[in-house]
Amino acid sequence: MSKINNVPARSKALVRRETRSAYLFLLPALVFFIGFVIIPMVLCLVTSFFNYTMGDFTFIGFGNYIKMFQDEIFRIALKNTILIVVVAVPTVTAFSLWVGASIYKMHAVTRSFFRCIFYLPVVTGSVAVSVVWKWMFNKYTGLFNTVLMGTGILDEKISWLGDERFALWCIIIILFTTSIGQPIVLYVAALGNVDPSQIEAAEVDGATKLQTFWKIKWPSIMPTTLYIVIITTINSFQCYALIQLLTSGGPNHSTETIMYYIYYQAFKLNQYGYGNAMGIFLAIIIAIFSAIQLKAGQSND
Amino acid sequence: MKKLLALLLVGAMTLSLVACGGSSKETTTEEPAAAEEPAAAEEPAAAEEPAAAEEAIAGDITLWTYPVGKFGDSATVDGIVAAFNEVYPDVNVTVEYLDYQSGDDQVTAAIEAGTTPDLVLEGPERLVANWGAKGKMVDISDLWDADATADITANSAAVESACKSPDGAYYEYPLCMTTHTMAINKELFEAADAMQYINEDRTWTVENFEKALQALKDSGVETTGVVYCGGQGGDQGTRALAMNLYNAKWTDAAHTTWTMNSAEGVKGLQQLVDWVDAGLLSADAGIVASDELQLFANKTTAMSFCWNAANQATYAAQVDFTPYPVAFPSEDGVPELCGGIWGFGIFDNGDAAKIAAAKAFIKFVCDDPVQGPASVAATGFFPVRASFGNIYAGTEDEERMTVFAGFAQWLGDYYNVTLGWAEQRTAWWNLLQQIFNGDDVQTAADAYVETCKAATEAASAN
Repeated sequence: MSKINNVPARSKALVRRETRSAYLFLLPALVFFIGFVIIPMVLCLVTSFFNYTMGDFTFIGFGNYIKMFQDEIFRIALKNTILIVVVAVPTVTAFSLWVGASIYKMHAVTRSFFRCIFYLPVVTGSVAVSVVWKWMFNKYTGLFNTVLMGTGILDEKISWLGDERFALWCIIIILFTTSIGQPIVLYVAALGNVDPSQIEAAEVDGATKLQTFWKIKWPSIMPTTLYIVIITTINSFQCYALIQLLTSGGPNHSTETIMYYIYYQAFKLNQYGYGNAMGIFLAIIIAIFSAIQLKAGQSND
Repeated sequence: MKKLLALLLVGAMTLSLVACGGSSKETTTEEPAAAEEPAAAEEPAAAEEPAAAEEAIAGDITLWTYPVGKFGDSATVDGIVAAFNEVYPDVNVTVEYLDYQSGDDQVTAAIEAGTTPDLVLEGPERLVANWGAKGKMVDISDLWDADATADITANSAAVESACKSPDGAYYEYPLCMTTHTMAINKELFEAADAMQYINEDRTWTVENFEKALQALKDSGVETTGVVYCGGQGGDQGTRALAMNLYNAKWTDAAHTTWTMNSAEGVKGLQQLVDWVDAGLLSADAGIVASDELQLFANKTTAMSFCWNAANQATYAAQVDFTPYPVAFPSEDGVPELCGGIWGFGIFDNGDAAKIAAAKAFIKFVCDDPVQGPASVAATGFFPVRASFGNIYAGTEDEERMTVFAGFAQWLGDYYNVTLGWAEQRTAWWNLLQQIFNGDDVQTAADAYVETCKAATEAASAN
C-alpha cells in the first residue's frame, strides 16, 4: 500500500524538478527579455504620459496623445505609413507567392540561384541598398533618368526622391525589393512541403492546376502566408531606415512615416515623452492590424 | 480562450517589435561640410614644462570628438593626448570618435543614461544653445580670463558671444574658426566669359551673379548650381545664399527673434525661386550638400554653395579643374558670411576632479603656445586667438589658407546659438522645399518663422 502511495509522490517531485529545471533554462533569456523588452515597453508607456524632455519631466496625462492628433505632420506620417502598409503587404505577399510557386519545382541549382538573387537585398545592409538606389534615382547622373531620357520617355529630368509626386512610391519600390526575399524563401519551403499525394489525387480526379493550387496548396501554406503577412505588415509599419537614409521625411513631409517622426521628435528635438506616445500608438495600431490578420487567417483554416 | 490568448500574444509580440524597432538607427544626417576633410595637420610639438600647480591634476577623463578636421583621426588625437600627458602624466584621457551622422544621437542617449563624457569638441550651436541651455554643461567662465578674452575678441568679438549663453555662462572654450563660402568652377566660368562678374576680392553683386548664371547657360552649362534642400546637411550654404542676396538678417542681434520673413528675406527667397523658374538655377529636394559637392566635383554643376578651407583641401586633389572660392552674392556686394566655430565644452558629471582635469586639457590643447597652434592646424581652420598669428605661414597650405583668411573680414553674426536651433534646421529645408514646389514665399516664410518661434519658446521654457 505504501509502495502505491509513493509512486505519485515521486512523480510529483520529478515534475517539480523538471519544471524548476525548465524555468532555470529559460531564466537567461527571460532576464534579457524582461530587461530589454518588457521594462522598456513599460517605461515607454509610463513616460508617454509625461512632458519628458532633456530638461523637464512633468506629468501631463494624455497631453501627448492629444497633441499627437492635433499635429498635422503626425497625421501626414500616419497616412503615409498606412499607404505603405496597404500597398506593400499585398504586393509583397502576392509577388512572393508567385515567385515561390514558379521556382519551387525547378532544379535545386536553379532554385537556389533565384533564392539567392531575391535574398540578396535582404542580406545587403540598408545603407548599401540605399546608396545604390539613391544613385539610380539621382536627377543628374542617375540610371532612371538616363534611360528614360535616352529612350525619349521623359522630356526633362525628374528628381525622383525630391518630388512629392514620386518620392513615397520610390520608397515603396525599395521597400518592396528588400521585403520579398524572406517570403520567397519561406514560400519555396512551404510549397515543397505540401503533401504530393494530395496533389496527385486531385489531379487524378481531374482538378485543373488552378483548382489544385487553391484547393490543395493554398490551404497547406496558409500558416506561412499568415506569418508573411503579419511580418510584412510590422516591417512596413516600421519603415524608418530608408526614409532616414534617402529623404529625411521630405519633400514637404511626403515621405514622413510614424517611425521616422518618432525618431525625429525623440532624438532631434528631445521630446521623449511625445515620441513614446507615438510609439505606443503605433504599437496598438500594429497589434490591431496583426490581430485582424490572425483572425482572418484562422477563419480560413 | 485559446483565440484570446493568441490575440494577446500578437499584441505583446507587436509591442515588443515596436519597442525594439527603434533601436536600429541608421542615420545620414549630415553636418556642415566644415568638417569634411582636414588640412594637413602638424605634429604636436613638445609641450612646455609643467607648472607646480599642474601636478595636482589627476584622474580619468573621456573626450568625445566630432570629426573637426583631423580631430576625427585617432593618430592625430593620440599625439595630442601624448603631448598633454607629458605635462599631466596623471590624467588618463580616453577618446571616442563621433560622426555627424549619429553623434548627436549618441550624446542624447548618453545624457539620458547619465553616461556623458567629460569633454566634447564641437560648436556653440550644440555646446551652448543645446546642451548648455539644458543645463548639461559646466560653466567654464574661469577659463575665459582677461588675457584669453582679449586675445580672442581681438580676432572676432562674435566668437566670444557665441560661446556664452544669454545668462552669461560660458559653455565653450573655442579652438578654431572659419568662414563658409561658395565656390565656382573657374574654367567653366572662363569659358563662359563670366569671370568678369566677380570682383577681385572675390565678392559679387546679385546683378552680376545673375549675369554669370545667364552666361553659363548661354555657354551650354546645363546645371549652373543646385539649391539643395533634401536635408539639413550643409544648410549653412543655402542659408547664406538666401540671406545675402538682399542683405537679410537671420535673427535679431539678441538672437531671440527669427527674421527671415522680413521683406529682405522674402525678396531673397523669391529671387531664388525666380532663378529656378527661369532655368538659371536648379533646386533639388532629393539631394543634400554632400551630393551637391559631388556634382560640383564631377563638373555636373558650375558652382557649389557649400565650401570652405577644408573642402578646398579635400577636393583640390580630386578634381581636374580649379575650384575658385568666392563670397555669396549680395545686393551691395558686401557679403555677410556664415562662420564656423569649434571648441571644447565640459559635461557636468558632478566630479570636481574630472572637471579640473578636463579644464587642464582644454587649456593645454587650446592655449599652449606650442600645442595651441598645432591643435588649430589639425582642424584645418583658423585660430580664434589673434596671438597665434598666421599658423600656416611657411607651410604648403599657406597659399590656400591665405585665400580663406581673406574672407574673415565678412564674417557675419553667429546666429546659430539661437534657442530652438535644431528645429529651425529642419524647418529651413522644409521651407525651401515648399517654395520651390510653388508655395507662396511670404506665407511659407511666415510659417517657418512661426515654427522657429515656437521652438525657441519651448527651448526657453525648458
